[in-house]
Amino acid sequence: MNRSTRIKEKSPVLDALIWLVMLLVLLACIVPFLYIIAMSFSSSRAILNNRVSLWPVGFNTEAYRQVFAYPNFFRAYRNTLFYTGFGTLIALTMMVIFAYPLSKSRLKGQPIVMKMVVFSMFFGGGLVPNYLLLTSLRLTGTVFAMLLPFAINQFNLIILINFIKTIPDELEEAARIDGLNYFGILVRIILPLLTAAIATVGLYTAVFFWNDWFYSLIYLKSDQYPVMLLLRNIVNGTTMVGEAGGVGENASVAIAIKSAVIITSTLPIILLYPFLQKYFVKGMLVGAVKG
Amino acid sequence: MRKTLSLLLAVALLLGLGAYAVAEQPLAISLYYSDNATLPFQQDWPVIVALEKQYNVKLNFEPIPMADYGTKAGLALSTGENTPDVMLYLTTGGAYSSYALNGAIVPISDYAEWTPHFNARVEEMGLQQDVDLNRLSDGKLYFLPSLFDKPFYDGGLILREDYLKAKGFDAPKTFDDLYNIMKAYKEDNPGSYPLTSIVGLRVVQRMTMPSFGVSVGRNTGTGTGTLSWDYDKKEYFAGAISPQYKDYITFMAKLHAEGLLDPELEQDNASTAKKLATGAAMAVYGYYDQIGGWEQASEIEGLKLNMYPPLVGPGGAHHQPKSKTGGGLLFPIAVSKRPDFEQVVRKLDEIFYSEDATKLWCFGPEGDSYKMDGDKVIYNDAILGSADGIYKYMQNAYGTGCAGLQNVWYLDRELTKYDENYARINAEVAAMPDAIQYTVPVPSFDDITAEDASLMQTTLLDAFNVWDDEFRTGKKSIETDWDAFVKDMTDKGIEKFLEIYNANKKL
Repeated sequence: MNRSTRIKEKSPVLDALIWLVMLLVLLACIVPFLYIIAMSFSSSRAILNNRVSLWPVGFNTEAYRQVFAYPNFFRAYRNTLFYTGFGTLIALTMMVIFAYPLSKSRLKGQPIVMKMVVFSMFFGGGLVPNYLLLTSLRLTGTVFAMLLPFAINQFNLIILINFIKTIPDELEEAARIDGLNYFGILVRIILPLLTAAIATVGLYTAVFFWNDWFYSLIYLKSDQYPVMLLLRNIVNGTTMVGEAGGVGENASVAIAIKSAVIITSTLPIILLYPFLQKYFVKGMLVGAVKG
Repeated sequence: MRKTLSLLLAVALLLGLGAYAVAEQPLAISLYYSDNATLPFQQDWPVIVALEKQYNVKLNFEPIPMADYGTKAGLALSTGENTPDVMLYLTTGGAYSSYALNGAIVPISDYAEWTPHFNARVEEMGLQQDVDLNRLSDGKLYFLPSLFDKPFYDGGLILREDYLKAKGFDAPKTFDDLYNIMKAYKEDNPGSYPLTSIVGLRVVQRMTMPSFGVSVGRNTGTGTGTLSWDYDKKEYFAGAISPQYKDYITFMAKLHAEGLLDPELEQDNASTAKKLATGAAMAVYGYYDQIGGWEQASEIEGLKLNMYPPLVGPGGAHHQPKSKTGGGLLFPIAVSKRPDFEQVVRKLDEIFYSEDATKLWCFGPEGDSYKMDGDKVIYNDAILGSADGIYKYMQNAYGTGCAGLQNVWYLDRELTKYDENYARINAEVAAMPDAIQYTVPVPSFDDITAEDASLMQTTLLDAFNVWDDEFRTGKKSIETDWDAFVKDMTDKGIEKFLEIYNANKKL
C-alpha cells in the first residue's frame, strides 16, 4: 500500500477524534458567550444566587434598558460606527496606494522606504510626543485625530505588499501594452485581485477602530467618545473606595448590566466575521509560503 | 447741532446697552470632571441648571471616565496642551506635585483674596491646619481641597444581624467577639468562609489594621508602603516589622487556617454580593449603602445585615484614618493667562464654596427636591419613596452629593439622606475617642529624595506583600520565619526608608 492510498483511506476513529476535538473547541468558544447572553437577560437575584446557567432565569430586558438609557449611549455608538466606517475606508485607501509602489523592488528608494516602515513598526514616538504632534497639527479634539494617525498600519501594509507581490508581473505588462497608466493598473487590475487581502486588512482595521478607547480618550472630547470608552467606564465603574472623609460612591454596577454591555459591544463586530470568513483565511496565508 | 447731539446721544445709548449686554453674558468656564459610571454625569442635572442660572455662569463640563481620569488630566498637565480652566477632584499628591512645582499648576494660595468663600468655610470648619498639610515644599497650596467637617463612618464591619439574634450573640465589640461569631457560623455552615470583603484583601486590612496600631501602607494616603504612624509620638515607625504587625498577621493567619477568612478576596462586587446573598459569607468589610443591594439579592428568609462600629483590638478601636480634606479644584496654568482670570477664580469659589451653593450641591434646588420645615429638611415624595434610597436617588436624579462636584461636606446634612440606623451608628462612632484618626500627610520631598523614597518603597512593599501573603496563608511560619522576615526587610533598607520619612515629615 503506497502513501497516497493510506491517506485516502478513511479512519472512523480519527474522524470521531477530530469531531470531538472540534466540538470541544466550539463549546469552549460558544458556552461563555451563551452564558453572558443568559445573564444579560436574567434577574440580578437569579444571577447572585447562582441560578443562571445557559438559559435566562427571571427573563427581563432591564439590563439592556439601563445600558441604552445611559446618557449619550447612542451618540457614542454613532461615533463608533463613524470611526469604524470612515477610519477603515481611509486606512484601506491609504494602505493600498502605499503598498502598490512598495511592492515593486525595482523602484528607486523602495528599500529605504521599506526599512523606514519596518523601523516605525517597532519603535514608536511615545505617548507625549505623539500627543504634542497631534496638538500642533490642530487635530486633537477633532474626529481626524482618530481617522488620520491610524490610516497606515505597518503590519497590515506588509500583508498588502506581499499579496501584491504574488500577482504576476505579466498582467501589469499586458495592461501597460493596452494603454493603462499605473493608477489605472492599480484600480482596474490590482484592486480586483486584492479582495482577500483587503477583506483581511479591512477586518483588522475595523476591529482596531471598534475596540479602541485609549486614543479616543486622550485625543478626543467627551462628546466625540466612542461607545467602547463609555462601556469601559460602565464595566470598570463598580467601586470607588475613597480615602477622604466623605461618603463614598460605592454602589456597584449589576452583573446583568455588565453582561449586556459585553453583548452590546461585541455583537456587531462578531456579525462581520461570517461575511468575511471566506476571504479571511486566504488573506491570512498571504506571504506565508514563498514561491 | 441738534442732529449732532441726537447722534451722540444715540451712540451713547447704544454703547450703554452694548456694555449692559456684555455684562449679562454668562461667564464660560471649562471643567474636567471624573465621571462615575454608577451616577453618569448629566449636564442638565437640576443642580447644575440651578447653579448656572443663579450665578450667571456657563459650566462646560468634560466628563472623563473615572478609571482614566488620571491619564487624561496627567497628559494635559504634563504637555500643557488642551487644558481646561479647572480640573475637579484632584490633589497635588504623586506626580501632580511635580507638575505643580514645575509650573504647570496655578499656586492658588497666591490668590487667597480671590477665594473668600473657601477661606470662610475653612475657618468655620476649623480646617486651617488640615488644609495647610496640602501645601507643597515651596509652602504653596496648588489646589482648593474639598472640605469635611467630620469624618464619615460610611463603611466598616457589616454582619448578619439575623444570625446574631438567632444564636443569641451580642453585637461584637472586639476582634475576639468577631472570631467567636464567625467560628459558630463556620460550624453551622462548614462550606462557608464567614469573612469576605469588597474589592480585595486591602479593604479588610485598612479597616482593621488601625485597631492593631499599624497601617502598613494599606491606607494609600500615607504613601509609605511599609511604615506606620505613631499617633502619640507623631512620628513614623517601621510598622511592617513591628510587634503590632506581628499580632495582626497572627490573627489573620488564624482566621485563614480555620477557614474563617475568604481565600478569594480579590473579587468584584457581584462576587461579594453572591457570597453574602447565598450565605457563603456572613461578614464583610464594605460600605453601608451596599447593604440594601445585598439584602435584596438574597433568597435567605429574614437575612438582615447591619454595620457595626470599629472593633477593639490591641491598639484600641479605630477605623481607617481619614482626611478632612480631599480632591478639589486644581487650576492648570493656562487659565491664569485668561484676561478674566480673577473673575473665573472668584466665580468658581462662589459656586463651589459659598454657603448657598454648598446647600445646593447637598440638597438640590429648594422647592424642587426639598423644602424646609423649620430646621428640618423634607425631601419630596419621589425621593422619599425611591427604592434606591434617598442618597443614591438624589445623586442620579439631581446631581447632588457627587464626589468631585460637591466640595463642602457637613455630616449633619448628609445624614438627612440616610436612615436613622445610619445616623445612630455614626453618632456612636463619633462618640468613640479617635475612632477615625487623621490621615498622615505625605512628606514634602524634593525631587531627588522623592525618587529615592519611591524606589525604596517599591522594593520594600514588593517584598512585604510576598511575606504578608505567605504568613497569612501559612506558607511561612510566623514563629520560626519572623526573624528572617525582619532581616530581609532590614537588608532592603527599611531603617533608611524610615529615616527619610521622619526627616521630612510634615507634622
